[in-house]
Amino acid sequence: MGKITENTRAEVTEIVYRFFSDECEVDINSINEKTNIISDLEGDSLMFLELIEIFKKKYSLNLELKTIAKYILRHPVETIGQLIDTQLLMIEHENNLVNL
Amino acid sequence: MSNRVLITGLNIITPLGLDLESSWAGIIAGKNGVGPITIIDTEGLQTHIAAQLPDSFDSYSAGFIKKRMADQTTRVTKMCYVCAKEAVRKSLLDFDSFDKTRCAVILGVVNTANNSAEKGTTSKNRILKGMNNAMSAWISMEYRLLGPNFTITSACASSAYAIGLGYDMIKSGNADIVITGGADSLINREDIEGFNELYALSVNNDPGNASSPFSAGRDGFVIGEGAGIMILESEESALRRKATIYAEMAGCALTSEAYNIMAPMKDGEGICHTILSALKNSNVKPEEVDYINAHGTSTILNDLYETMAIKKVFGERAYTIPVSSTKSMIGHTVGAAGVIEGAVTVMSIINGVIPPTINLNNPDPELDLDYVACTARKKSINCAISNSFAFGGHNATLVFKKYL
Repeated sequence: MGKITENTRAEVTEIVYRFFSDECEVDINSINEKTNIISDLEGDSLMFLELIEIFKKKYSLNLELKTIAKYILRHPVETIGQLIDTQLLMIEHENNLVNL
Repeated sequence: MSNRVLITGLNIITPLGLDLESSWAGIIAGKNGVGPITIIDTEGLQTHIAAQLPDSFDSYSAGFIKKRMADQTTRVTKMCYVCAKEAVRKSLLDFDSFDKTRCAVILGVVNTANNSAEKGTTSKNRILKGMNNAMSAWISMEYRLLGPNFTITSACASSAYAIGLGYDMIKSGNADIVITGGADSLINREDIEGFNELYALSVNNDPGNASSPFSAGRDGFVIGEGAGIMILESEESALRRKATIYAEMAGCALTSEAYNIMAPMKDGEGICHTILSALKNSNVKPEEVDYINAHGTSTILNDLYETMAIKKVFGERAYTIPVSSTKSMIGHTVGAAGVIEGAVTVMSIINGVIPPTINLNNPDPELDLDYVACTARKKSINCAISNSFAFGGHNATLVFKKYL
């Protein structure tokens, strides 16, 4: 997609926060970048995949699951902040993510 | 200390109530849980009645289950999970004070009922909802239990088999706590059609007398649904934490008839072998048995052969041992029947009350035991057995005793 703007970051952050607030039934104000997805929110790995689908559709990304899997193996995601950063990298680099 | 196996947690969800206490109250009152099927459209089916859970189950379960889990579980998995949560809460178990590698979850499950009756199944959650191991997995995750965690399937004897395996795990010293039980529902078009084709399901659509074990007019079982959880614990552990002890599990027998995929072995030979083995394994003499909670399905063959087997095992004394069928009130809960009826048996021991066999107004002249017809009866019970027999020849008899 190209360069990430402040607007994109804000949009992604809003979607991620809203998603976890809805799915985990927690107050959106209780979520911050350091919130741990598993231990604090009782989230699961499927949520990550569901978010990827949301962003693939929203930004028409050319992004294969195997690319994501290879990247995540090297850069594990535990917190909301890490998740947002990873989603932004996916939007920015799409399948080139594997080369990072 | 001996490895005696005690029951320190118990809960059931049945058509007569959403917990042990309300279900038990309904059972000893001889209430009939059978009525018209409302959770699916039965148009075109031969059978239109079943024993459904109270309508309030959905709102009740919502109080225990978060949205995320709700989306990933079937109604039957929710039954099991909620049942377990309440059983654990009432048992006052604090798993953090246990070696969690010695805490197991063993459930008997036919399937999770992810069928046409299940709402909200999508390609995204189909696998998670349909996993037959889902119930034990969710319970294990809830309490972070690290011991064996699995599901066994032996049709109508599934949860009785689970209890039997849980008993063995504690008896052999391989676990301190085992959460056992199961859940089931056949209220869906596929199962109703299938069991009708096998002539196993009653086509009497009068809820007032369709489930009538041991009666002359019985014509098949009536579908029930529900869940049960029995927490087994080593005596040492239970005494150490001053647990409430419901009863002792004295032993069991899990056997195979190796005879026919559907019909029981003729003249109840396989059933007889199972009961005798259970008594022997439990070091209980036939004369010690005070009550028999029968499999009592209301099918022609089961009720006849189970009666014949009881006569073979107990001889003349068979005529004086009270026998009753919980299915007369809550229908056949299939994979959950073993644990629900086991729980009812334990409650009979605790309360000194034998549940009735309702709808037994016209007894089959060939079936002449004391079936505790229509009304519950007070009787001190020190030892009781609970029978479960299944398509495929999977037989189980569980033996429970007052803990002394």
